[in-house]
Amino acid sequence: MILQTKNIQKQFTEGRETFTVLKGIDFSADRGEIVSLEGPSGSGKTTFLSILGCILTPTTGEVRIDGEVVDARKLAEIRKRSLGFVFQQFNLFPSLTAVENVEYALNVKGVRGREAQVEAERVIEAVGLADRKNFLPRDLSGGQKQRIAIARALAGNAPILLADEPTANLDSVVGTQVLELFRDLAKKENRALVIVTHDPKVRSIADRVVKIHDGLLAA
Amino acid sequence: MAVDLATKSLLHDKLRFFITVSGVAFAVTLVFVQVGLFLGLMDNASLTIGQIDADLWVTSHNTPNVDFAHVFPETYVKRVRSIPGVEKADNLIVWFMNVNLPNGAVEGTEVYALEDFARWNFPHGVIEGNTSDLRRGPYFVLDDSAKKRWGAFGVGDYREILGRRLKIIGRTVNAKSFTTTPLTFMDFRLAQSVSESQLRGNTTYILVKLAPGADAVKIREEIRRRLPYNDVYTKSEWAQRSRSYWIDSTGLGLNMYITVFLGCLVGIVVVAQTLYTSTMEHLKEFGTVKAIGGGNRDIYLILGKQATIAAIAGFVLGALMAYAIAPAMAKIDLKLIIPTQFFAIVFVGSIVLCLSAAMISFRKVASIDPALVFRG
Repeated sequence: MILQTKNIQKQFTEGRETFTVLKGIDFSADRGEIVSLEGPSGSGKTTFLSILGCILTPTTGEVRIDGEVVDARKLAEIRKRSLGFVFQQFNLFPSLTAVENVEYALNVKGVRGREAQVEAERVIEAVGLADRKNFLPRDLSGGQKQRIAIARALAGNAPILLADEPTANLDSVVGTQVLELFRDLAKKENRALVIVTHDPKVRSIADRVVKIHDGLLAA
Repeated sequence: MAVDLATKSLLHDKLRFFITVSGVAFAVTLVFVQVGLFLGLMDNASLTIGQIDADLWVTSHNTPNVDFAHVFPETYVKRVRSIPGVEKADNLIVWFMNVNLPNGAVEGTEVYALEDFARWNFPHGVIEGNTSDLRRGPYFVLDDSAKKRWGAFGVGDYREILGRRLKIIGRTVNAKSFTTTPLTFMDFRLAQSVSESQLRGNTTYILVKLAPGADAVKIREEIRRRLPYNDVYTKSEWAQRSRSYWIDSTGLGLNMYITVFLGCLVGIVVVAQTLYTSTMEHLKEFGTVKAIGGGNRDIYLILGKQATIAAIAGFVLGALMAYAIAPAMAKIDLKLIIPTQFFAIVFVGSIVLCLSAAMISFRKVASIDPALVFRG
């Protein structure tokens, strides 16, 4: 198992009230596996994704990546080394070209110079946007932006890819194309892919569908 | 080579970049102009002291500056000349006199009177005539700055000073005093006779040149012993005293400090405000930097670099503006002196100022929750 959680609970305190968003989740994903994480709004799926992505820490329970328990003091380091993100709003840097967006992410991960350029161009080509590599995000369509976001997540060989509603801002046809591309690349490069979604189309590319309801995984 | 997100992001919003740079440039220009003007005025306050080749100045007791002189007997110079180690000592009169202009107006002039101007290498900047001719008759040399207040004049013209008709036999440039009163140069005896009631048998200063290797401290002490009712200053002390008088009595120094402070304050507020607004607008981008593995340090470097770029661009623009203003200032007889060391100080100051302004954004960035990247 490349990704595993045990009894994840998460509580938030607002004023005097404490809310339990996650109530004990056991989850796992393998390399090359695509998991669709579904659930209604407020079910806790984005919180769970944030914990899987080492952005939030659980109140209790543990996350293991490649067998090692995640150390809460080294979250940034783990994100750098093991995780790639794709966001609903793409979150590209508007002042950087497509290829620079990818290259910058590599720079943050410690890959620099020629090595970063070669890797950035490789993944841009893999998502089919070699001819748009020098375009700024504002000059790209929604689908193209999401492809660049996927390229950014793929760059640097992180074994786990996490996507938050990757098709939410795309029309149906483009959404399907992006998902198929995502699936092909994740499979080809043997990465675990967890997609949080409302979109039923995601099921068509998923190996497994996991439902989350009121902070618990549904059977 | 890494992707330069800081520079690209800063230049991406050109209007904001322009506003930021303008804020710094405004502050830099204000500092250069204010300090430059201040130094120019201070230079005027001690310009003649700097030009006269004297090591020591003997003044009447408590004379506040070179312009506001008081008289004492001219024979005192003999007591100074007889001190071993004194190479030469001469009387100098600095005195305000009224001038009757051809149009009937009365203006003032500040007269510098010596027996031998060449002996003291004074004044500098003689552009017409010769000061050695001053002894030959009722003549004077006038600085060109007088044209502004006296109207046009030329060598060979006559002007009436305290009722005496005197001939202009030469012109100088850049002989100035803090009072802005035009400077006139005439023979020592002529000055005494023109203002006879006050200057007859009197002088206002004794200039002292020491022999090579002479002990200045000992000679100064000896002058003090021989002239107990006078003061003795070294050239630099006297220049400083003259400048300090104007700084303290006119509030010029305080005014300069306040303006410089306000200039820096405006600069820091503009830069802090634009950087902070920019940070707020780019919170999601900074959240993304954190989400992909970056830390606060990565974001501090971005903000720090942006602040430094704004500082350098603002400094260059501000310095160019100050230089562009200098000729216009010169046309209204205002001198802008900007020493090279001051450039370095303002340059470093600009960077410190901008980095300080960025600190407010640092605090905001430190509290960014990377989870915000998942919010729609």
